[in-house]
Amino acid sequence: MNDAELISQVLKGNTNAFTFLVNRYQKLVVHITGRLIQRQDELEDVCQEVFLKVYQNLGKYRSECKLSTWIATIAYNTSINYLRKFKKGDTISSDELPFASNISDNNKAIDFERTDLHQYVRIQIDLLPVQYRTVLTLFHLEEFSYQEIEQITGMPEGTVKSYLFRAKALLKEKLKFVVDEGSLKKVKEITHE
Amino acid sequence: MNEEYLDQVLEKSLSSDPGFILPADFASKVTQTIVRREQWKVDFREYLLYSGVTLGLIALVSGFYFFIDQNNVTQAVSFLKEHWISVAIILLLLNFIFFTDKVLLRLLFIRWNEPEKIVFRNRSQHTELLQNNS
Repeated sequence: MNDAELISQVLKGNTNAFTFLVNRYQKLVVHITGRLIQRQDELEDVCQEVFLKVYQNLGKYRSECKLSTWIATIAYNTSINYLRKFKKGDTISSDELPFASNISDNNKAIDFERTDLHQYVRIQIDLLPVQYRTVLTLFHLEEFSYQEIEQITGMPEGTVKSYLFRAKALLKEKLKFVVDEGSLKKVKEITHE
Repeated sequence: MNEEYLDQVLEKSLSSDPGFILPADFASKVTQTIVRREQWKVDFREYLLYSGVTLGLIALVSGFYFFIDQNNVTQAVSFLKEHWISVAIILLLLNFIFFTDKVLLRLLFIRWNEPEKIVFRNRSQHTELLQNNS
């Protein structure tokens, strides 16, 4: 069943179709929401709120963009609202970038020898400002295009590219910090998996 | 330092699943919540419908009085006027019972039966519970 048929069924009141829609898009929503709010105990509630909004506004959906882009926009806005409401201290403003010191401090605390490289990168992603985490997730994990990310987040395409570049550069810098020559062997093993 | 390897590690880490978990029955739970939330609207509409029917009956009696037979209606009205306090109380009571039955009780029943929210302290605790359940 394609998205158009699915929407038509949901609008007719078919609840099974809506369950199907949730199953289809819950991974997308949980990735965006999870990366933004970073709280497993609140994740289910926020995801549920996203799908409630999807249900309530499905009648207003116009097929100008893909359904996944539309749902991602709702997930992004809901997560940002959640952060504004409950985590006022989080770095939502693009001017605030207090990550460098955090990352360095955490680097010292992490015993790299006992930590998987992927896990290490994940931890570093979680320490990035919310805009960086958003663009990284949308571009690399969900494979949205720059234009789609622009639609979802409202950030100009140039900003999206810039955030992506800067986020990756930061992560790479942190990787360099922990991966010494001795660890390169481990890196090779992982990349050849 | 081999830049290419670092790039590969980064690309792979960025595109790998971050491991956020939702319950296996998440989709059906969301659907149930929606059905429950929509149900009160249906109940309220039903209440309005019955209220409309009642008002319609009153209008019918008024029509009967003004256009067909005044005597019978006058007698009935005078009886009601004599006992207007009792009549008003009975009507309010009936209306309250009706509203409670159709709207309030159902709404409260839904609220009381909301699934209990389990708060996990961390991701591993959640994973452990899911594994135990499966």
